[in-house]
Amino acid sequence: MAIIADKGSETSNVKAGDLTNLLNGKTKTWPDGKAVKVVLRDPSSPDMELVLRRVLNMTADQARALIQSHSGQFVVAESDEAVLRMVSSTHGAIGIVDLYSLTKDVNVVKIDGKLPFDSGYLLKGN
Amino acid sequence: MLAETKKRIAVVCLSLLLGVSAGMAKEAVAAKHAAQSATLPLTTKSPEARQLAEKAVSLYVDYVRQTDAIDLLHKALKLDPQFAMGHELLAQISLDSAEQVSEQKKAFELRSHASSSERTLIEWYQDASDHKLISAITKMNDLLSQYPQDKRVVWTTTWWLMTQAQYERALAVYAKSGINDSPGLLNNMAYNLADLRRYDEAFDFMDQYVKAIPGDPNPQDSYAEILRLAGQFDKAIEHYQAALAIDPKYYSSQFGIADTYSLMGDQARARKEYEIGFRKFPLAELQQILWQTREATTYVREGDYKGANQAFRAIAIYSHARHISEVESDTYRQMAMYQRNPKVALTLLDKADAALAEGKNSTQTTIQQEAAQIQRVRVELAIRTGQMDAAHSGVEALSKMADSSGDKLIEQAYEGSAGAVLMSELKYEEAVAHLEGDTDNPLSLQLLKEAYQKTGNKAAAKRTSDTLAGMNDPTIEQAMVVPAFRKCYQDPACSGSLKNASVDHMHLL
Repeated sequence: MAIIADKGSETSNVKAGDLTNLLNGKTKTWPDGKAVKVVLRDPSSPDMELVLRRVLNMTADQARALIQSHSGQFVVAESDEAVLRMVSSTHGAIGIVDLYSLTKDVNVVKIDGKLPFDSGYLLKGN
Repeated sequence: MLAETKKRIAVVCLSLLLGVSAGMAKEAVAAKHAAQSATLPLTTKSPEARQLAEKAVSLYVDYVRQTDAIDLLHKALKLDPQFAMGHELLAQISLDSAEQVSEQKKAFELRSHASSSERTLIEWYQDASDHKLISAITKMNDLLSQYPQDKRVVWTTTWWLMTQAQYERALAVYAKSGINDSPGLLNNMAYNLADLRRYDEAFDFMDQYVKAIPGDPNPQDSYAEILRLAGQFDKAIEHYQAALAIDPKYYSSQFGIADTYSLMGDQARARKEYEIGFRKFPLAELQQILWQTREATTYVREGDYKGANQAFRAIAIYSHARHISEVESDTYRQMAMYQRNPKVALTLLDKADAALAEGKNSTQTTIQQEAAQIQRVRVELAIRTGQMDAAHSGVEALSKMADSSGDKLIEQAYEGSAGAVLMSELKYEEAVAHLEGDTDNPLSLQLLKEAYQKTGNKAAAKRTSDTLAGMNDPTIEQAMVVPAFRKCYQDPACSGSLKNASVDHMHLL
C-alpha cells in the first residue's frame, strides 16, 4: 500500500506516529496551514484492514465510526482510481492506494524514510 | 444492503469533491471513447517492418509461437534497424539472454524515434529492469489509461503484473478492458487464476481458449499445464498428447509430458520423455537448458545425488562455455541446495558467486536476483551447521539488497531467510510475519505451516498444509520438499514428527 499526496504537496515523508495522527483525525492542518483531507477506500476492504491494523490498531467498524465523526475531513472513495483522482485534484489531500495503482498524477509519501518497496516499510503486504 | 449504502455515500463524496458536472461528464465520456478505440502505434519508417512486428506479436501472444515471432522480429529489424518498439518486443520475447540484454539497450537508446506512448512502454520496461518499480508502475498505468482496450497493451500489462505476482490486479485489468476475443488474454488469465489456485475458473478460461483456436496446439498445451498444476496428472498427459496430435513438432508438450511424469514420481519415464524431446526437437539454447535442468532434478527426486551432480555439472560447464553467467551460477546454487556435505555445498556456492561475478550476457536485474538466491542458500546452510552469526549476517545482507533493489524476488528471499533464522531460534510469532512474505517457496511454506502449529493457529496450519501438498511446479524446491511432505500429509497415521520429515532432512543434509 502507498500513501499518496497531491503533486503540490511539500510532504514527502511522514513519521509513523504522524501518519497515525493524520489518519485518526487528530492532525487537522498541514504545517503550511492547508486543511488535511484524508481519502480512503472502504474500511472493510482487505487492503484498508491492513492499514487500519498497522497504523491505527482499529477494526473496520471503529474506522467507519471515526469517519462519520470527522465527515468534513474524511472521504471514502469507491476505487483506487477515485482515490487517485481526488488526491491529485485536492490541495492538502492524502490518500491510501494499492501501490500497483500509482499514477504520475500524485506523489508517493515515504513513511519513516521508506518507500513501498523498501524492506521494513510499514504498509508492506496485501 | 449495508454495502449498497456505503457505495452511495462514496459516490456522493466523490462528486462533491471533484465538482463533476453533467457537461464535464460528457467530455469525459468522449475522451473515454477515444481512449477505448485507441491502439498503441508501432512507429517505423518501414510499413513492411510494422506488418511483420504486428504479426510477430499476434503469433507470440495468441499462439505462443515464440520462435516464429522472434524470426519475424529479426526480419523487421533488418528492414528498419531504428525501429525502437521492434527492439523492445524482441528484448521481451527473445530466447537468447545476450539478445535480451542488447535489444533492451537498443530499444532504450532509440526511443526518441518512437511515439510518446511507445516511449512510455520502453521506459516502463527499462525502469522494471533497473528495479525502479514505482516509476515502472506509474508508466504502466499511464500507458494503460491511454489504451485501456488495446489488446497488446492489456496483454503486456497483465503479463507484467503476473511477473510481479499481482494476479488479482491482472484479472481486474482484463475485466475492465472488456476484451473477450483475444486468445492470448484468455490463456494469460487462466494462468493468473491458476496462480491463485482458482482452478475451476482457470479451466473455464481454458475451455474458451480451446474453442477460440481449436486447430492450434497451444490451448491444449496450456490446459495440460494447468491440469498438472492442479494435480490432475493423467488428464494433463492426455491434453499434452492432444497438442502433439495437432502439431507433432510442438516440443513444449513433449517436455510437459516429461515434467508431469517427474511430478507423478516416475523419474525413469520422465527422463525417457526428456530424451525423446532432446532427440526430436532442435531447441533454442535457454529452452534446452531449462529442460536439462528439469531432467537433472529427476535425480534429486529419487535421491540419486550422484546422478544429480553429474547432470547439473554438465549444465554448468556448458553454460560457462557459452558465457551464460546467470544460468551457470543458478545451476551451482541448485546443486548446493541438495548437498549432504556442507563443505561441498559451500564450495558450490562460491562457484555460483564466481560465475555471477562474471555477469556475462545477464541483465542487472537477473544478477541481483540470483545473488539474493545464493545468499538465501548460504543462510539456510549456516542454519544447518549452527553458524548463527553467519546466518544473521546473511539475513542482514539480504535486507540491504531488498532495500536497495525493491525487487519482489529479492524481498521474498529476504523474508524466507529471516523466517528460517527465526524458526531455528524458536521465535515462531516473528517467523510467521516473515514467512508469510514468501509463500510461493515450498521451503518457506513448510516452515510457515510449522510456525502456525507452534503458535496454535490450526486453521492457518491446515490451509498452509493443503497449499503445500498441492504444489506441482517442477522446481528443485518442490522436489526437495513436497513429495516427502505429501506422503505424510496423505497418511492420517503419520505422526507430527514424521510430518516434518522433509524439514529435518533438509536441515541434516
